[in-house]
Amino acid sequence: MFRGRGSMTPLGSIAGAVLAATPWRLERRLEVDAKRAALTRIGGAVGAMVVVGILLLLTGRNAFWIFWQALDAIFGRQRGIEGVALRAIPILMTALGVALSLRMKVWNIGSDGQFLMGALAAVGVGIHMGGPGWLVLIVMAVAATLAGAAWMLVPALARAYWDVNEIITTLLLNFVALQLVTWSALGFWRDKEAAVIQSTREVAHTLPGLPGAESVTIALLFPLVIAAALWWVFRSTTIGYEIDTIGGNARAAGFAGVAVRRRILVVMLFTGAIAGLGGMLQLSAPGAQAMNAGFSAQFGLSGFIVAALAGASFWGVIGGGVFIASMFYAGIVLQTKGLSVYIIFAIYGAILTGIALGEIAARYRMVRRRADAGAEAPGPPGASEPSEAWGPSAPAAAAEVLEAGS
Amino acid sequence: MSWSEVHALVGENGAGKTTLCNILAGIYRADAGRVIVDGAERDFRSPAHAIDAGIGMVHQHFRLVEPMTVAENIHLGWPETPGVVSQRALNERAERFMGEMGLHVDPTARIWQLSVGEQQRVEILRVLARGARVLILDEPTAVLTAQEAEELFAVVRELAAGGLSVIFITHKLREVLAVSDRLTVLRHGVREITRPTEGATAGEIARLMTGEERVLHVEHRTVTGDPALEVRGVSALNDRGITALHDLDLTVRSGEIVGIAGVSGNGQTELAEVISALRGLESGSITVDGAEVASLSVRAVTDLGVGHIPEDRIGMGMVASAPVKDNAVLHSYWTPQFSRGLALNRQSVIDFAKRLVAEARVQTRSVFATAGQLSGGNQQRLVARREALVADRLLVAAHPTRGLDVNAAQEVRSTILDKRDSGCAVLLISDDLDEVLLMSDRIAVIYEGRIMGVFDAADADRERIGLLMGGHSITGAVA
Repeated sequence: MFRGRGSMTPLGSIAGAVLAATPWRLERRLEVDAKRAALTRIGGAVGAMVVVGILLLLTGRNAFWIFWQALDAIFGRQRGIEGVALRAIPILMTALGVALSLRMKVWNIGSDGQFLMGALAAVGVGIHMGGPGWLVLIVMAVAATLAGAAWMLVPALARAYWDVNEIITTLLLNFVALQLVTWSALGFWRDKEAAVIQSTREVAHTLPGLPGAESVTIALLFPLVIAAALWWVFRSTTIGYEIDTIGGNARAAGFAGVAVRRRILVVMLFTGAIAGLGGMLQLSAPGAQAMNAGFSAQFGLSGFIVAALAGASFWGVIGGGVFIASMFYAGIVLQTKGLSVYIIFAIYGAILTGIALGEIAARYRMVRRRADAGAEAPGPPGASEPSEAWGPSAPAAAAEVLEAGS
Repeated sequence: MSWSEVHALVGENGAGKTTLCNILAGIYRADAGRVIVDGAERDFRSPAHAIDAGIGMVHQHFRLVEPMTVAENIHLGWPETPGVVSQRALNERAERFMGEMGLHVDPTARIWQLSVGEQQRVEILRVLARGARVLILDEPTAVLTAQEAEELFAVVRELAAGGLSVIFITHKLREVLAVSDRLTVLRHGVREITRPTEGATAGEIARLMTGEERVLHVEHRTVTGDPALEVRGVSALNDRGITALHDLDLTVRSGEIVGIAGVSGNGQTELAEVISALRGLESGSITVDGAEVASLSVRAVTDLGVGHIPEDRIGMGMVASAPVKDNAVLHSYWTPQFSRGLALNRQSVIDFAKRLVAEARVQTRSVFATAGQLSGGNQQRLVARREALVADRLLVAAHPTRGLDVNAAQEVRSTILDKRDSGCAVLLISDDLDEVLLMSDRIAVIYEGRIMGVFDAADADRERIGLLMGGHSITGAVA
């Protein structure tokens, strides 16, 4: 009677129903090891591309040519690789912030806003401060980091001390940040010489380029260093242990004497700070030194998707962020080759859905039904199974949001 | 049961009272046996079947929609509710129905505005509105103030006088005697007796509830010397903001086990939490080795050598989603054994966890497996052993063997006895009176947040303790 089904994802139920007609059934794994989880995600993406390819062929398009163009655009030339890197930096920065908060089961949906406020602070410093370029850039970075954290301050205080849902507060502040950016571009920091696009004045300094690169600066190192630092914190420090404990069971953390509310506050501010710094990095790239309303191409949203699909693993974020940046870059190239933007969006959606399905698939295995259990309804063991309280539920929920949205 | 009868169902926690009633109300299905209503055997496959047969249950936790009005809640899901209806008509219908039943609550009030007693009345009205002729009340007084409880008794008597049958689940002896016509005592899922309430004594019921003493023997000691734990005049609130501990005094000396006997929900949880600094005090003082707990952080209290096996092991004592190794150091990861500054020494954590798992005989594939995969007994052994190692001075053990099979329970008990023998003070909280009597050097009885009496193991009398647990003071007056 207590065959709890609440723990099953809708997709799990569907798969279970499909399997009912076969001698196989789905069984939930007790543990999902990282390697399998990564492989099923890659498998999901590849599977989605195969499906997309078949659909393209059926509608009379040359799928092989399209995929070849995409691969060639990315890997065939240095511009492609640099184009991916430029797109990856802001996505990685916002994704790392979100991934950090997810370790604590806090959902920072506001990285777009924090990113914009970081960039805005950097513009403010950059266009007003004199002195040597390196010093201006450092002050810009500090200002952006603080601005990103400050933009998180109210949601963080509200969540930590009054249990106000951070999803709503962080999400809504995105729109406020966007209005502030628009105001700055139209009003107080407007570049009066720019004729066409309403924009702020331009910052005179850019970060030094990477050796051998045409347009990629040392900004690329930031997400890599931050990912490594976060990985180390969670592997080898008591702070990482405490954050994971809060994420796993906040009451147990309190029992262990962790200052839970203060930790939540500080970690949330950090997630904002990382996104804010991302805004400065974006601004200090050659050719991007001014802000307008289109400054953030929803990097925060992409970053959120990356963090959720990566299951809050920091190296997973790096891999996923580079993949999604490649996908977006390929999409732009394919548009120039005459593929409609709608088809490209559909392909994005299919691939993300494939990855999300792969994430879920990693949690199940197929088991041959025993003869005597043949009459039993298929499905994983009941909700009482203790391991189901474990972490993958966060990315799973996100995956379901994604499916609903695409 | 006959009609117009108030039948009390009594027993300790886990005796099967609620399970039995859930079967009657169609929530669980019986594995075997029959339910006969009005001479006809019924098979309830869902609560709807039970309601059709005229059986309705009011649960301990109300199932009301808080933002909606009383009238709306009464009509919610009631087949007789008209399809199209105005707020006023609902109120009038509710008013009329309340008049018929002789139970009154303002129909326009919203649920969240009502006191707990009034909310309970709405629940009863809801059940009656669906034509219930057998009303099951599951520990209805657990959430009520004394005065609200008195009012409820009057309501119950009136309903019975009107021809209804009421099953009244409780473990408070006073209530049994005050409200019921007949009573049934359950113990470990078996009926001990069914008899008219008239002529029954609280002592007899208490003995039937708690059963006879087991023949296991633990050597009890009398310890003198400095107290390790001193609780003086402590009052504290529970999570709902109601006073759970009233001016409570208690002393535990090094090398002795003081057992807290009492029915769950009489302040035991709160007592364990105030001692560990997890809950604040309203007044009074708690000292461990002379250090005032209220002025210390949770961590500082732990560092004094206070271990705590919490009642809710999964909810509070461990992180089910984290590996066994991380759970092994939950209450000590900041100590020099495992960390220096911010750096956590992974290897020492793993080594310690392996040793802990081996010593406590926790069955697990590896220390990297999540703690949630362990069976309940293994989780309990892990937490009990971990806390025993933390506890140099004082071990607070809340229901340490609840849900364990005989062998696992014996292992946990011997862990606790070893702590005592090594000079640690032990506060043992348990709603299993047998366990308290078996383990404790001294026994304190708790009822509604007060210590009703303290006995040396040698003078402990099961019947007297049972009476005190039910709220009867020694002289027979209600405390």
